[in-house]
This record gives sequence, C-alpha cells and structure tokens, in this order.
Amino acid sequence: MKIQRPYVFLIKITIFSMIMSALPLPQLLLELSPFWVLLFYIYWLGYSAANGRFFIALVLGVLIDILQGSILGQNALALIFSSAFISNVQQSFFVSNLSTQQVYVFVASSIYLAVILLIHVLIQGFSFSYYLLLAPLSSALFWPIVRLLLLKFRH
Amino acid sequence: MKFFKLFIPIFISVFLIISDHKFSYVDNLRLSIATLISPIYLVVNLPAALHTWINEQGTSKEILLNQNKQLTNELIELKTKLQIHNALLLENKKLTKLLGASYSIKSQKFKMARISSISQSRLKKQIIINKGSDNGLKVGQVALGTKGIVGQITQVTPLYSTVLMVTDPTQHVPVKNERNGVRGISKGLASKKGKLIVNFIEPGADIELGDIFLSSNIGSKFPQGYPLGKVIHVETHKNEPFLHIQLMPTQDSKQMEFVLIGDSN
Repeated sequence: MKIQRPYVFLIKITIFSMIMSALPLPQLLLELSPFWVLLFYIYWLGYSAANGRFFIALVLGVLIDILQGSILGQNALALIFSSAFISNVQQSFFVSNLSTQQVYVFVASSIYLAVILLIHVLIQGFSFSYYLLLAPLSSALFWPIVRLLLLKFRH
Repeated sequence: MKFFKLFIPIFISVFLIISDHKFSYVDNLRLSIATLISPIYLVVNLPAALHTWINEQGTSKEILLNQNKQLTNELIELKTKLQIHNALLLENKKLTKLLGASYSIKSQKFKMARISSISQSRLKKQIIINKGSDNGLKVGQVALGTKGIVGQITQVTPLYSTVLMVTDPTQHVPVKNERNGVRGISKGLASKKGKLIVNFIEPGADIELGDIFLSSNIGSKFPQGYPLGKVIHVETHKNEPFLHIQLMPTQDSKQMEFVLIGDSN
C-alpha cells in the first residue's frame, strides 16, 4: 500500500479538520465536541518527522481562528502549546497503548482549553459555559476513532 | 535553537492576539484568509442546501397555491398597517418641522439573506449568512428578524458574512423599556442559553414582568425602536447598585431561516 507524503497528508487533514470545526451543531453539542484540529494535528505529529511543526501549528490555528471568528492567534497559541507538550512526550506517546495515549490527549486538550479560556477571560471577561470544561474529556474519548479513521485515510 | 523554534511562533501568536484585539493591523490579513477559506462554508452547508433544494422541488402545486393565498392575505394586512405607519411618519415630520428640531426618522433599505449555519464557535454565539461583500454587506450592519434584532455583522467575505448575535456575552446593546423609557445596557448570558441580562438600571426603577425592551440608538451601534427581549425575571440584590433583569429574546434564532440586513443608524 502506498503511504501519502507528510505534507500532502497535512493539507488533506487541515481541510478535513476545518470542515469538522465549521459543522453547524446545537450549542451544547458544540461546547462538548472534541478539539478536532488538535486531534488531527497530534496524529500528524506522530506520522511526520518534518521540521517547523510549531509554525505549522501557528498556521493551522490562525485558519481555525478566522473560520470561527475568534481573536486572531487564540487557537494558534493554544495549538502551539499543546503540540509542544506532545512533542515532549512524543517517544513514549506513539509506543504507548491506546488508553495511555488517551491520557496524553486529555492533557494536551486541557492545555489547549486552558490557553483558549485564559485569553478569552483576559480579553472578554469571565463569560463562558461550564460545559466547555468537558471538551478535553470528549477529545480523549474520540481519539481512538480519529486514530483509526486517519490510519485508513493515510493509505 | 529548539527554544527559538518554539519561541518565535509563540511570539507571533501573542503579537496577532494583541494586534487583533487592540488595533486593526491584521484586518486585511483576516479578510484575505477568510475569503480564501470561505469555500469551507460551501462544503459544510451542502447537505442543508441539498435538503432545501429537494424540498423545493417536491412542493406540490396545491401547497404553492395555498401558500400564495396565505402570503397575499398577510401582504394586504401589512399594507393596511403600513398606511397607519406612513401617516404617523408624516405627522412626525410636520411636528419636527414645527418644532424646528433636527431629529428625523430615516428610511432604510434592507437586504434579505438566508442563514447558512448557527454557532460554529464555542465561545461566541454567531450565525453565518449567505450574503457578503459581493452583495454590498459591510462590517457593523445590523441583522433583523421578523420579531426583533438578531445581531451585528462582524466579518464579511465575498460570499458569506458572520453575524454576532445579541445573545453573545460580548455583544452589548443599549436598550430602553417600551413602557416608560427606562434605559440600560443588555448583553447575553453565558450560563443560560439564549437569554439576556440588562445592566445599569437602579433598584427604584419601574420594571415589571412582561415589559418589552427595545433597542436604543445611543452610541449609534444599533437602530432604535426594534424589540430585543421580554422581561422574565427581576430581582433586587442587597448591597448591589443595580437590578438583576433577565430577558427572553423576542427573536428565537432556532426557528429563523432569513434575516434582513440594514444599516446601524
């Protein structure tokens, strides 16, 4: 089976994660939904040994910011910090079993959420729904599905 | 070296956050990228567009005739009401002229747009409409529903626009009570879905359940006189300078299909 080149695969998952992030959902489901872009990017980090991964995180984050009408740089900063965490634990992450990977994804998603909320609270005040705090959990729960889908999509 | 690889993107992100929040340096960049990625909305809205198209194709002649009859009746009714409105406008003009006042009611032109999607952001309550700068829409214009104000345009691409709804906690709307003109500022409630609160009204003010709050044009952000919400809860807290007033928006965003876009003043 032919495996796709890392950057071709990155472009494909970028488009796919943007579509997933722009899907119109009821407010509650939207707040509980996983951080799709982070999940896809974590998978790509393990798949590729390419340089400039933090710059790619920056570009991806900016695209999501514009798509969602957020403050420019908010998702980008969150994605950079989360990918820095995954890069640090990369060696153990990609040889771990699925449940350990889910724990790592939970921590990365929590970092992502913390950065987003910190910027939101600093700029717009303490005004968000507490259901948002469950998003890292849903990200961890969806990780096996994303991994399986992207594994098939990669070939 | 590894430190710089991480530090530079972080620095750029922080720069973007500050530039976007405090200044307008990155507006052009945002607009260019938004235009570039706007086909994403097209893909996302494809199932809904297909559903609408199938529905339209499947509508029978009888249903269309009935709908036409109903709409004609509604049109006659509205035209009758408009006559009263026009008479009032004329009277207002005459009185303004007599008083020598500079205040006048401006006639507005509206553009109709279909709602493509609602809420694709976790921290913002917004809708995407299927008209953009190609149709002459601009940032700052106001979106209205049949029962009241919906929100304000915050981002425009050639094909789509984003409307920040009045139920968003960051959207502040100057309001006044329809019954007695008591003024305040409304904003969305993050914890209670789709509800609004009105701030800066003192405890002694005459506010009753069922009162309607209308938009006021203080600050020229929103046009005046459009319904915003109905009072569903009033509470006085000890040691707090203002009343706690909760509103239910007059316009339910879940059942909306179209919005009218007009100028803010």
